[in-house]
Order: sequence, then structure tokens, then C-alpha cells
Amino acid sequence: MRYRITHSTTYQYTGLVGRSYNEARLLPRECHQQKLISARLEIQPKEADFRIREDFFGNKTAYFTIKEPHSEFKVTAFSEVEVSGNTGQLGLSQGISWEATKEILQHDKRAEVLEARQYTLDSPYINTSPELAAYAQPSFVPGRSLFDAVHDLMQRIYHEFTFDPGFTTLSTPVNTVLEHRRGVCQDFAHVAIGCIRTHGLAARYVSGYIETLPPPGQEKLVGSDASHAWFSVYIPDVGWLDFDPTNNQINGDQHITVAWGRGYGDVTPLKGVVFGGQDHELKVSVDVTRMPA
Amino acid sequence: MNTQVTQTGLPNSYSLRADDYDEMLDSHGQVRSHWLALMREMEKLGSAEMELRRKQALKLLRENGVTYNVYGDTDGSSRPWQLDPVPLIISGEEWRDIESGLLQRAELLNMILADLYGPRELTKKNLLPHELIYNHGGFLRACDQVKLPGHHQLIMFAADLARGPDQKMWVISDRTQAPSGAGYALENRIAVSRVLPSIFRQSQAYRLANFFKSMHAGLTAIAPPHAESPRIVLLTPGPFNETYFEHAYLASFLGYPLVQGEDLTVRDGYVWLKSLTGLQRVDVIIRRVDDTYCDPLELREDSRLGIPGLLEAARRGNVAIANPLGSGILENPGIQPFLPGIAQHYLGETLKLQSAATWWCGQPLEMDYVLANLDRLVIKPIYRTPEFMPVLGHLLSQSQLAELRDRIRANPAFYVGQEHVSFSTAPCITPQGFEPRKVLLRCFAVACRNGYEIMPGGMSSSAPEKGDMLISGRSGSISKDTWVIATGPQAAYESARNVGASTTDSGTENALPSRAADNIFWVGRYAERAEGSIRMLRAAVRKLYINPDNDDPDYRESLHCLLRGVTNLTGTWPGFVAKDQADLMQSPETELISVALDEQRAGSIASLLRNVVRSGYAVRDLWSSDIWRVMDDMYDQLAQPQQLSGYPLWQLHQHLDRQVTTLSAFSGLTMENMTRGNGWLFLDIGRRLERGTFIVSMLRNFQSKQHSDAVEMQLIESLLNVSDNTICYRHHYRSYFELSAFLELLLLDTNNPRSLTYQIDCLKSHVAKLPGGRVEQRLSTAERLMLEASAMLDLIDLQELLLVSENGIRENMDQKLSRLHYLLHSLSEAITAEYFRHDSNLQPL
Repeated sequence: MRYRITHSTTYQYTGLVGRSYNEARLLPRECHQQKLISARLEIQPKEADFRIREDFFGNKTAYFTIKEPHSEFKVTAFSEVEVSGNTGQLGLSQGISWEATKEILQHDKRAEVLEARQYTLDSPYINTSPELAAYAQPSFVPGRSLFDAVHDLMQRIYHEFTFDPGFTTLSTPVNTVLEHRRGVCQDFAHVAIGCIRTHGLAARYVSGYIETLPPPGQEKLVGSDASHAWFSVYIPDVGWLDFDPTNNQINGDQHITVAWGRGYGDVTPLKGVVFGGQDHELKVSVDVTRMPA
Repeated sequence: MNTQVTQTGLPNSYSLRADDYDEMLDSHGQVRSHWLALMREMEKLGSAEMELRRKQALKLLRENGVTYNVYGDTDGSSRPWQLDPVPLIISGEEWRDIESGLLQRAELLNMILADLYGPRELTKKNLLPHELIYNHGGFLRACDQVKLPGHHQLIMFAADLARGPDQKMWVISDRTQAPSGAGYALENRIAVSRVLPSIFRQSQAYRLANFFKSMHAGLTAIAPPHAESPRIVLLTPGPFNETYFEHAYLASFLGYPLVQGEDLTVRDGYVWLKSLTGLQRVDVIIRRVDDTYCDPLELREDSRLGIPGLLEAARRGNVAIANPLGSGILENPGIQPFLPGIAQHYLGETLKLQSAATWWCGQPLEMDYVLANLDRLVIKPIYRTPEFMPVLGHLLSQSQLAELRDRIRANPAFYVGQEHVSFSTAPCITPQGFEPRKVLLRCFAVACRNGYEIMPGGMSSSAPEKGDMLISGRSGSISKDTWVIATGPQAAYESARNVGASTTDSGTENALPSRAADNIFWVGRYAERAEGSIRMLRAAVRKLYINPDNDDPDYRESLHCLLRGVTNLTGTWPGFVAKDQADLMQSPETELISVALDEQRAGSIASLLRNVVRSGYAVRDLWSSDIWRVMDDMYDQLAQPQQLSGYPLWQLHQHLDRQVTTLSAFSGLTMENMTRGNGWLFLDIGRRLERGTFIVSMLRNFQSKQHSDAVEMQLIESLLNVSDNTICYRHHYRSYFELSAFLELLLLDTNNPRSLTYQIDCLKSHVAKLPGGRVEQRLSTAERLMLEASAMLDLIDLQELLLVSENGIRENMDQKLSRLHYLLHSLSEAITAEYFRHDSNLQPL
């Protein structure tokens, strides 16, 4: 499936910003089920000193500064990607137990496993805890396949947690989300990742978009989409498989990947340091449009 | 020969514990051969004389302002550097082993650092456990693949060494982030060589100065290739940091600008110093700020000590940072047990200098061992956090041990257990004579083009009390110089001259950071404001207790005028101008004492002096030791006077006299001893501006309104005192006090250094010298302001000025003075806007 994505972020300041230094992870990366056709950033006011590099996790990271004084700052990412489903992967993933996976992660020295191993550890925003372990436990019954355990966990989060945009902020601890069973996609992904890591398994955080369809008979509203997040689990010999606990889905061809890391902190779409500016108002709009094949 | 030493009574105080190794005495109580010369000389001096020398050394250090976290303590208490003049002696023979061990260790850690931010073979090959690195807070993923040019990534290295009972030297910890102590070692050396000059001269101890030359060479070597004569700066977190003294000391010793994060900016991928003369490119940064705080864009976003974009500039190779960001990963005691294996792997060698045995709890067997032996180990976190400091297991109670076991079990990979090495003892002089105290030695290495150089010596610390343990070189320990005894003769003196960037380098002057100029300007202003306020206060105090005549209404009125003047000129309202001031006027002592001594009160003399010291300390690297000594006196006088409250006014008067003397010493030294660079220029502009403003305010306060002749005369007498012009006035005008003569002297006399005209003339000439002032021959704002002030004064007609309107006000005078006040105020604004304009507050997006 082919998509065109427009993701724009606007900061309006009450005061004047003298200079700003920014880092954006808004340009989609390539991966086995996603081909990048084009991607670019448009920045207002005009940026200076623009560079793109790959970060530690392989995400496309843009560095730029704004030199001229401004009271409005807008970054728009225009991307076009081709996403394929992962049915083949799904078929392969049914076998191995979660205990065997844990063994492999601890002892196997293959590059792919070593790469995955870093995602078994705690990370900023996600600390394993007895509470997370306790919540995960019913899903991780002995001998169960890794796939079944994670799938069950995803379904439980979907059914037991309430989507509530007003409840959490970026800094709400995972345990608070768990305790109140509410949050947004980012929180659900963090909870799931924490649960999986308490069992010695590798899980990472993925930022991106999901295609949404309007109710039947209605036109889709421009800008009505949002950036999205989910988690991915490492399955030996298969690779990484994405689960979306917010939508109770194993990702097919409607998820577009931008970046991944240990948690939200590694893939913040846009961050920066500004001089001045005082208070600001933030507007984000996202459009995901399916393109004719 | 040995018995000579013991005969002098040394063993009486110098009693050893059976299981301790002593550096000076062997197990038979004989002085070891490399200590003989020193001990013989110290015996000659006698322990009482040695104690005296110890006090001298402390005084010397104190006066040089050597401190550890002085002024930074929130309770305001200072902690002067503690030094024991008895050096730790290391024989040349043993030093060769230590040195080669340190060289190997520095090289090894360098290779580990290069690998961890490069290919990471060590974790892939399991020479280092994956979790030990990936789980460590010092492993900064943003720094991956960022490299310094050349072979060396670890530029500065320090190791804490201690000797165990088996006589072997063990490494207790490695310092790789921003190792401190090399500057203190040098300062200790200079102090000891001054209080024990002949002993030092004969000692053949290796000199330290070469090490700093190597440091300069090493830093130059890592500069980006584009830099022909690289600009090196020292980045400090600022005066509140516990080792700020050392930052300032090293910066001025090496001739590098001392900068804070806000002094630097990243533009177009390069780092620039915001100096008075504009942006100056920076090529190398000696970093004394912890790495996570260095770049709020990519590292800790809550940091206010860093420079956004710094990491990107380093990534592009446009600036070299020593040590590189991310080097804190090596300060991970969990790495120590794996060093022998890595040494084999990389160098095919065994480790020459071993670490104290360490068990990382991230491995099951090791964790079990640590849990079982908790009460005899030191437990350390692998990453330093405020929540968990290293603890000595044997000092914990059963319940504390149980609690610690639970903590370790909950997160084993975060802890190591380390063998508690029972450090050796070395002699320390105390009021009771020599005493053996536990010692720890910090050694320093710096990378040069062809390998590491080791400082031949180091900073030793000894325990504050006999029998005390030491975990680190910090908390309350007493430092010692360290002498490595050479086999051949050494240079007679320890050179304290600059070894880094030469002072004639025009770059240093141009590179005065704007923030530093700002601070100097305010030192000038606060010092002058303090002096003016003290003089004003003193005039009121004098009036009060020299021939008070409360029955005389003229006396009362002039006294009240002076008291109101105190409030108005110090800005300590409401004070004597409060609505219900009658009681206060009756008994003004408490209020006057408060204006003098209450540091919490804005405008009080104590608060002004505190501001002088605070602004001065922020540019500590720019003052000579003589000037600093005077600042230190100011600080002392601040600390003392609490006991004055409740005492008679004459005591306050004496106290104020002392302060005037100190301030005069300060202005005298800055006048006579500072080169007339930009620093001095801003200092003197601050001073002249403030003095001019004070004269204007004083005249407006006292003479804008007409008084009776008798009161007028009394006031003139007092105010001449305030402006220190009595003698001069008498000389010119005899003893008849007349207002027009007084005004002539204070406003217009071009030869009187306390006249307004004099200040304006100075300012006029100063502002013409300000960097980059004129554009295309047009006058700068500052020049225009001073030209107007100068013309106004030239055109003043004194008789016109004295005219009194019907309402009793000298409106003409008031208008003129008000305009002059405005011009001076505008000058301050113009200079601030032009030279000290700071970036507005920095915040995360």
C-alpha cells in the first residue's frame, strides 16, 4: 500500500524567539516491510545548518537551527512510503516459546540477537517493576509461545485500558498508567514494553502513523489523523513483529513506521532548545492519504 | 642513623596499628630510606615548628583563595583547602612501576572508550558484559561514533591509588569524566615549597610544571585541523561548583579563558566564544561540566550549564572536547573485573596496576558472593547518583545490611562489591606532633601526540582523624603534596609561570567573555557603591556621637537630613523617610546598624560587599593574588561583624573605617596593578559611573532644598567628609563653609578625583576606548551621552544653580542634576545593551 503523509507541527510563541536549535525524527526510515519513496522537511522560518544523520538506532535524524527572530515556528514533513503486509512473518512466528526466546537473548552471540538484546533493558520512561511483572504474568504462562503471550498481553491492554488523552502527559510514569489503566497510544506501548521486558524479552517502541478511514459515507477531514505509536517484539529467526495495543492489531499494511528506539525518549519527533519565546501554543496536524497503486 | 630519628620522640605520637602498612616506618620501626632525608630535616625543625609551618601554608592557601566549594555552600560557610605540609614520599624506583602501570591503564581505558563509541567489539565478544554498558547511565548513545582526531580519545585521566597491607598499590577508582585535582596538586606544591623551602630544594622531588606543558601540547594536538593556533577554553559550571577554584586557577595558569555555558554559542556547526570584541571561534574545550549537562539539545534538556548544538559541533569534528562527551562510561567500577581480560585481548599483557578486587552483581555468582560478604566489602553503584553513595559494609547495622541486600537483589546490575583495601598510613603533622593517617593518592595522566604523560607526583589526601577510613579523596579529607624522589638533581624551583597560551597572545585579551566583562563592571560599581554608602553612613554615625547637641534645632535638623540621606542614598527605604519616623529619629542606632550589617537587606553595606565578592569570584581567574587577598578580607569582614549588633556606635564606626580601608586597598591595587586592558576598562567605567551617580544623588538629596545657613554649614561639613574632601576644601577655602565653594569643588573641579567633572572626563575618555564603539566616525551612544554630560558641566553657572524658587527649592540645580543622573543611567544601559546583552532565557521546545 502506498501512502502520502503530511505531518506539520506549529509553535506559536507569546514572545519573540531569538534562536533555536532543533532535532527532528520525522522522516520515515526504511525497513523490511516499508519502502521509502520520498521524504523532506519544510521549515519556517528558513532553517540554517541543516544536516541529516542516522542516530544510534538507525533513525533518520535532522539537525537544524533557526537564526532569525520569530514568533511562529513550523515544521512540516512530507513523506511517501510503500508498505507491505507481514503475513509471511506472521506464519513463521507461531512456534518458539517465550522462555526459549529469553534463553536465546541471554546467550546467543549472533549479531541480530545482540542487537535485540539492548531492548531487554530498562530505559528512560520505562523501568521494569514488580507491578508490571504482576500485570504481565497472566499472559506469560509457562510454555506458551512468545507470539501468543504477547498477543494476549496486547488484547488485555486493549480491553482493560481506557483511551484518555487528558489523563497523561509525556512524563507520566508507566506505573501510574498501569495503576489507573488509562492513557494514550504512547502509554499503552510503554506499558506493554515494560511488561515484556520484565520477562527478559526484547521489546522496542515504534513511532509512526496509522491510516484511519472515515465513517462510511463521510469525507475524511484534512488533518484529522495523528501521529501514533506501538511496540515491536523480537522473535528469534523471524525478526521484529509489531503490535498495536491501542487498536488491538498486529500491524498489517496500514501502519507507517517513522522511527524506533527503547521508548518515546529515543524517538521524540521534534525537540529543540529556544532562546526566549516565553509561553507557546502547539498545533499538530497529520494527514495520511492512501495513494492509488 | 635511624635511631637518631626515633630518639627525637617520634614514636610517642607516631604509634602504628599492627595491621597497617606505614609509608614512612618499616615493620621494625625504622624510617624507610627514601623518607630519611625528609624526616631528618623535619626533625631538625621540630614538630612545633612544623605545626607553625602548617599554619603558614594554610594562611598562604587561604590568601590565594584556594578553596573547595567556598561561597558555594548554601549556608554561606566557606571551606578553605586543608593542606598538611608533610608530603607523601614515593621512591623513584617504585614510581617507575606506578608510572608504567598508569601508562598501561590510560592506554587501555583509551582503547575501551574508542571501542564503546565505535565498533563495540568488547561487548560483542563478551569481554565486557552487554548490560554493564548498555544499562549504564554514562553510556550516551547520542555520542556514538563521535571521535577526536588522532589515536587518543581519553585525554585526561586520573586514578585513585592506595596501598594495601601487602605493600601493593591498588587502583581504587578511575576518573575519566572531568578529573579534578591536578590544579590543586600544583597549588599544594607551590605552598609546600614556600613553607619548606630548603627541604624542598634539597629533596630532588620531580617538578610538576612539565606536566602542564604536556597538557597544553596534548590539547593543541586534538584541535581540529583547520585551527592554526587553536583557541582553548576551560568550561566550568561556575562559581557554585565545588572545584571552581581549581577551574579558575588552571585557566589562569594555562592562559585559557575560563568560560561558562552561556559564554559559548554554536553557529553554523562551530563553537564561538561571545567576547567583548565579537564572536571568537573555539577549537578545544577542557570540560569540567559533566557530560550529560553539556548539551541541552541532545543530552539533558533541563541543563542550564551547557551549550545547545555542542554535540553536533563535536560530531562534525569542528571542536574537540576533552574529555569527550560520553567518557563518563569508564567511571564504571563494574568494568574493573574485566580489565585483565581486556588487557590480554588488546595488549597481550597482564595488568600492571591492579584494581581492588571488584565483583559486579550483574552476574549471578558474583552477586551471591557480594551478598554473602556484604559486611566486609565496599558497595558502590556502577553509576553515581545522588540516591546511592558508596558505603562501607562493615559500618552498617544488621537491618541496614538486610535493606542493602534487598536493594541489590532488586537491581543487581546496578551494584558492585569491592574489596575494602585497608589503606596505608603516612605521617601528618598535628598540634600534638606527627601522626600516622590513612592516605590515598590521586595520579594524573594526559594524552600527548606520542602517548600519555604522567604527572610525577599527584594529590594525596589523608584522613581527617587518626584511624579514620577514606573512601574517596573528598569529604573533609586533608590534602598533601606528593614527592617522587628523582635519582638526579632537579630544577631548584617549582615554576608557577604560565606554561600554556602565552600571555602576550593578543587572543587572550580579545577573548574576554562578555559575561566576565559584565561581572567586572559590577565589581567596580558595587565596590564604589559600598564605599559611598559607608562614607554616608559614617557621616551620620559621627554626627550622632561626636558632640551631640539635641537641644539645638540646627543640630537636629542637620542630623535628620543626614539620616534621611542614609536611607535615600543606600536605597534602604522606608528607613528614615518612613511616614512615622519620629521614633526612629529619636533612637536611630538599630536602623543604622541594620543598614550596615544586615546582609539580607537590599542596599545594606553587607549586601553590597557580598555582591562585590560574588561578582569578583565569578571572574576569579582575572585577579592577581594580591587583589584576591583584599577581596578575601572583604569576605572576612562580612563574616565577622554579627557580634557588633548591640554595641556602641563607635564600634560600628571603627568597623566602617576598616571597610573603607579594605575598599581603598582594592581600588589602589586595581589602579596600580592591573594592565589597562578591557577588563580594567570595564572595572573603571563601573567605578566612575557609580561615583558620578553618587555625587549627583547626594547633591540632589541635600542641596536641592534650601536650608538655614547654620544647617547648610553643618551639612557641608559632613558631606565634605563623605566625599573625603575636607582637607582639600580647607586648603582652598579656609574654614568657612560656603555652598558655592562646596559645589565648585564637588561638581566642577577638574583636579579633584572625587568631583563629578573628574568622573565624566574619565568616562568620556574610557568610552572612546570601548571595543568596536564607533561606526564610520559617528559617535557611539555612550560617547554621545558623556559628551552631553561634559558640555553641561562646562556650561554650568554656579550662581544660577543656587537660585531658590519661592517654594524653597533650587529648581535649576535639581533639573540639571536630574538630567545628569539620567545621562549616567543611560550610559549604564547603553553599555549593558552593547556588550553584556545575554541571550534570553533558554528553554526546551
